[in-house]
Amino acid sequence: MSQFQASIINIQKHDALHIVTFQTEAFTLHMMSLELDEKISVGTKVLLGVKASSVAISKGFSGELSYANQLELEVHKIQEGELLCSLELKAKNFELESIITLGSKNRMKLQVADTITALIKSSDLYITEVL
Amino acid sequence: MININIKKTLHGVNGAMSLDIDLSIKQGEFIALTGPSGSGKTTLLRVLAGLEVAEGEIEVNKSFWLKNNKSIKAQKRSIGFMHQENALFPNMSILQNLLFVINDLELALRLLSLTGLTKLQDSYPKTLSGGQKQRVSLCRAMMRKPDILLLDEPLSALDAKMRTQLQSEILALHKEFNTTTIMVSHEPSEIYKLSTRTIVLENGHIIKDGKTQEVLLKSQGSQKFSFEGELLELKEVDVIIIAIVAIGQQIVEVVVSKKEALDLKVGQRVILGTKAFAPTILHPSL
Repeated sequence: MSQFQASIINIQKHDALHIVTFQTEAFTLHMMSLELDEKISVGTKVLLGVKASSVAISKGFSGELSYANQLELEVHKIQEGELLCSLELKAKNFELESIITLGSKNRMKLQVADTITALIKSSDLYITEVL
Repeated sequence: MININIKKTLHGVNGAMSLDIDLSIKQGEFIALTGPSGSGKTTLLRVLAGLEVAEGEIEVNKSFWLKNNKSIKAQKRSIGFMHQENALFPNMSILQNLLFVINDLELALRLLSLTGLTKLQDSYPKTLSGGQKQRVSLCRAMMRKPDILLLDEPLSALDAKMRTQLQSEILALHKEFNTTTIMVSHEPSEIYKLSTRTIVLENGHIIKDGKTQEVLLKSQGSQKFSFEGELLELKEVDVIIIAIVAIGQQIVEVVVSKKEALDLKVGQRVILGTKAFAPTILHPSL
């Protein structure tokens, strides 16, 4: 799980469903959620989380993707296993981990210092703590 | 309206403890009272029923049951009380057991009909199943058309199917008679089905009081699917770690990254959480 601080800048609501927009130092992020904690409103600072295995990677892609969160980051470190690999991604103070298959990493010829786009579905992003 | 403001010293396994309750209940509410053993739940019911003394005030529909150390006797309080163990008179038929409380044949027959016991009205308690006996206990508790129905883990000795049936009957009677009901229960599914408001007691104090769904829903941040368990093992596989966690009677596996695993220790209590969008529901027959 990667965690990062963010402030809520918008909340869209329809019945029990919410789309919350966050601002971090580097990015704007969107989260799909059911009922929100009553402490949460526009301006609230939170710690956001995402599972490393929920972060997809694209490189040199042109076209449209449905991912609500598309973050341009640099590959800082690559740790390879037998079948999987862990990517440490960075931009300014923002850090994100992605776990993808080694096959995908090789196919994409990912290397340290590559600029990639990390893709996170809004339903995979969550609040771990209200600050 | 029921206003309860009582204090009582209890002697539990952890020494002396003060039961300190300040609570207002609206007519017709169905309240679930939950919390760890020894937190004062049963004592609160017994104080309400007049079976134990306490300091303070109990006001029920503008009449004081307890005030200035003066207490109305248990028999004079409009209370129905149902326990886990029934206390039916073995030498009386089911109907006689009900009429012993108040000689109101019409009401007794109506209650027996509502709970599907009409055919058993002339039977004796020893011939009834556990569920049937609890149904009779419920009817007997309702014979006085009580202002307050107190249920102290009434269904905990019954099997799951019988529990579900009796839950429906309790709810039906609660609505039919517009009674205010306070039920002690440890079962989240039972509390969810029956109550509109849940109060959690701990060490004699109310630590949570709110709408049942809000009190029961264990969530961690925005993660609605959340369970507490014990971390049994961390298995390193490739670049990931598989955490084995015991939750209740089940063992589950959760994949975490090596970085996440740095903060985890085998044996610690952990909360597993995921968003409500991720879990799938399978029918047991699949």
